[in-house]
Amino acid sequence: MPPEAPYLSSRVLRNEDARLLTGRALFVDDVQLPRMLHVAFVRSEYAHGRLVSVDTAAARRRPGVVAVYTADDLGEYLKPGPVLVNPPPIQGHVFHGCTQLPLVKDKVRHVGEPIAMIVAESRYIAEDAIRDVVIEIDPLGVVVDLEKGLAPNAPLIHEHLTSNVAAHVIQKKGDYPEARRRADLIVKRRFHYDRGASGAIENRAVAVEWDAKSEEMTIWDTTQAPIPIRNGLARMLGLLESQVNVIAPFVGGGFGPKIMMFYPEELLLPWAAMQLNRSLKWTEDRQENFFATTQERGQIHDAEMALTKDGRILGVHDVFLFDTGAYDPYGLTIPINSQCTLLGPYDIPSYESEFTAVFTNKTIVTPVRGAGRQHGVFVSERLLDLAAKELGIDRVEIRKRNLLRPDQFPHNHEIMFQDSAPLVYDSGDYLPTLEQAAKLIGYDQFIREEQPRLRAEGKHVGIGVACYVEGTGIGPYEGARVTVEPSGTVRCATGVGTQGQGHFTVFAQLVADALGVSVEDVKVVTGDTREFHWGTGTFASRGAVVAGSACHAAAMAVREKVLDLASRVLNAPKEALELAHGRVSVGGSTDSGIGLGELAGKANPLRGAVRPGTEPGLESTAYFGPDRGSTASGVHAIIVEVDPETATVAVKRYLVVHDCGVIINPLLVEGQIHGGVAHGIGNAFYEQLVYDDQGQLLNASFMDYLLPTATDVPAIETAHRETASPFNPMGLKGVGEAGCIPTGAVFAQAVEDALDGSGVEITEIPLSPNRLFELIDAASRK
Amino acid sequence: MNLSGDFTFKGPRATVFEILQDPDVLAKALPGTKTLRTTGADQYEDVMKVSVGPMMAAEFVVKVEVKDKMTPERFSMHIDGKGALGFTKGTARIELREQPGPITLMNYTADIQIGGKIAAVGQRLLESVGKMMTRQALDSLDKELQTRLRTS
Repeated sequence: MPPEAPYLSSRVLRNEDARLLTGRALFVDDVQLPRMLHVAFVRSEYAHGRLVSVDTAAARRRPGVVAVYTADDLGEYLKPGPVLVNPPPIQGHVFHGCTQLPLVKDKVRHVGEPIAMIVAESRYIAEDAIRDVVIEIDPLGVVVDLEKGLAPNAPLIHEHLTSNVAAHVIQKKGDYPEARRRADLIVKRRFHYDRGASGAIENRAVAVEWDAKSEEMTIWDTTQAPIPIRNGLARMLGLLESQVNVIAPFVGGGFGPKIMMFYPEELLLPWAAMQLNRSLKWTEDRQENFFATTQERGQIHDAEMALTKDGRILGVHDVFLFDTGAYDPYGLTIPINSQCTLLGPYDIPSYESEFTAVFTNKTIVTPVRGAGRQHGVFVSERLLDLAAKELGIDRVEIRKRNLLRPDQFPHNHEIMFQDSAPLVYDSGDYLPTLEQAAKLIGYDQFIREEQPRLRAEGKHVGIGVACYVEGTGIGPYEGARVTVEPSGTVRCATGVGTQGQGHFTVFAQLVADALGVSVEDVKVVTGDTREFHWGTGTFASRGAVVAGSACHAAAMAVREKVLDLASRVLNAPKEALELAHGRVSVGGSTDSGIGLGELAGKANPLRGAVRPGTEPGLESTAYFGPDRGSTASGVHAIIVEVDPETATVAVKRYLVVHDCGVIINPLLVEGQIHGGVAHGIGNAFYEQLVYDDQGQLLNASFMDYLLPTATDVPAIETAHRETASPFNPMGLKGVGEAGCIPTGAVFAQAVEDALDGSGVEITEIPLSPNRLFELIDAASRK
Repeated sequence: MNLSGDFTFKGPRATVFEILQDPDVLAKALPGTKTLRTTGADQYEDVMKVSVGPMMAAEFVVKVEVKDKMTPERFSMHIDGKGALGFTKGTARIELREQPGPITLMNYTADIQIGGKIAAVGQRLLESVGKMMTRQALDSLDKELQTRLRTS
């Protein structure tokens, strides 16, 4: 840490907003290249079937069409994509990695799989040519329902396997059968939890320039992982990594599906650009996005919790199914997140969790914000609510009795997390967080006075309080290079891509504090392999923690160089030097000293001699890799009013008390929470991908797939707590997914509370006015 | 999508059945039909333009094969349609019963699978569009029936 850090934990306004708000930020679709051609894809309309023939003759003849490619045209380039995340080494696990070919060869496995690629002078012509392609598909039986997909006579999606099981994992700790024997109460239910599309404003896009003379390729890509994309494509195209540059410029929302790597379009455009020696661009339209961009979908949990009569959890047993879609390139990340996050902030002595991942004829599932964590949290939080009711214990009180205490950290849950490390919580202080949330929402007073008063007026109001943890900031590593330029401006280049998080501000704050410069004078570069080419990407709420720690380390190394050189130039001992306002001075005197820019000039002389071993310039590169992720936590509280006639739900208050360790910028933390809650509200009450029994997605437009609008998202109150993580020098934890993890659970709890006495029990998310109406109606008939 | 219903033709069953097998009549009666030609015994190919909600009129080539024909009581149709906005595949069953008048009661049931853009975007309107088109077709078939009965 620098001696003073004026920017750390302060509400610095976003450095990038001026560019974004005035339309000067580059997005992939803004890229215009000389002689650029446009690409469109012909996609399967069937969810499952044999590809009998593809006739592209008419499309090729259409004026303006330059090329049409099918699987047969790809030669050796036609290979299934890589399995991106290998399963953690859990004993006895089964995993069948099945990945997609860039273009369908023999068999389509979901609606929207690309069958042919059309390259034309304009997107209009390319789209018209889609209609010229004649495709014969011999339909096969379709797997949509998870349980039917496991039946012995179910159609086989991957015929080299003997069933549609993609994976099977059992994780255990303690002795659950013994816990069950000792329990005073067992609560057991079946839970359904469905997630949806990510709904990023910007769809995916790829633009490619191949310069045959310099043998250099530049790819603009909406990816969350530009460096691995560069490395992978170079290998597949037979180029050196240094011949390929990948730029992920400003990206209008990532939320997970853009960390899915080597999508067919991402593989095909660079290949075709080399074939044709032309620049190419493809921008996904919203319709395609619903089929061709990964989603997150349903899980079915059969779960039970064993408790003592005073509400202490003795153990949890859970068996669940997970819909992985037609392929499983992302391994087991989502179901393992569900499995691990179910344990939440609670002291659960015994746990048995078993899941089966099932192939279905639907779009591929990879993490979407929350990445399965909300599924697990929903199960444990709902079981606690049900137990509280059975035992006559208050809902907040039963949670208090089960929270991990500060003296239990680091806490080893004795099962394996998604990063292949044991699930160990580094630090946390859960009870004060819950108490603060209950106090701020006015829990006791609401239960005691307001709710009875409003009920007497005929209003159906309810309150919910739910806890969660968020595994964040996992490895392996990120890096950064910090350079003081002779102008005095500081550049900070890092490998992660940016999708709106505020990297240009948080990284700048960390560097500005280390070097004593103004935050506006730190120019951050993200997601450009020409600038920095070591790293993995933006995912798992790790940008600030891992890349931020690397920026800090690089800036602190530059600080040392600054002090060493200034000590010689100013002829003063290092300890007497101060860095502030872009200058190094002796004892903080304002009329002496030297500006950082001038010092940078002296560090890179044009003539004369330097000391042996001297590195030129004021520049350093550093890397940071944590042993394991740091665990953030929090509590959401909500007050709702339900109209039982129309089954609409009005959110009256929404409160998040959050602990993401040391906060770099509260403004950005709140922004992450607000955005996350909006996603969570959408997940709880609006968004659902509806497939028919033939695997056709029935609501593939924003007319029918409802995203919450500004009027549906309540004003969100926030409070921060800071329990520093011991896993990185600044004590950071991630916050990217906190807003959406317990939202479904807290929403269900409050709606159920509002309808108390009606017999409605909520064991599923998403709800909708329609679905809630059905539940109210069914309960009234009992 | 399931479409089913009843319709009353004001005329004898034999004539109704005849009309239902006459490509020239069907070409006029089926909404949006541009051309309808016979491709074999009891086989037709209908090129039609259909609009569903936000989707502009899109051309579909619909192959129809009449099967299980029991003149003049019933027949079924295998439908296989393809177009720029998707596909449709399924079977329709039609039964005719004559009653005094004479009038003919038609009962129809269709189980049709729809895929592609038309399913993804038009879903919530498909059923009402399907019902509307069926109604329009049956009304104009009945008109044709009246004309035939008058002129014969």
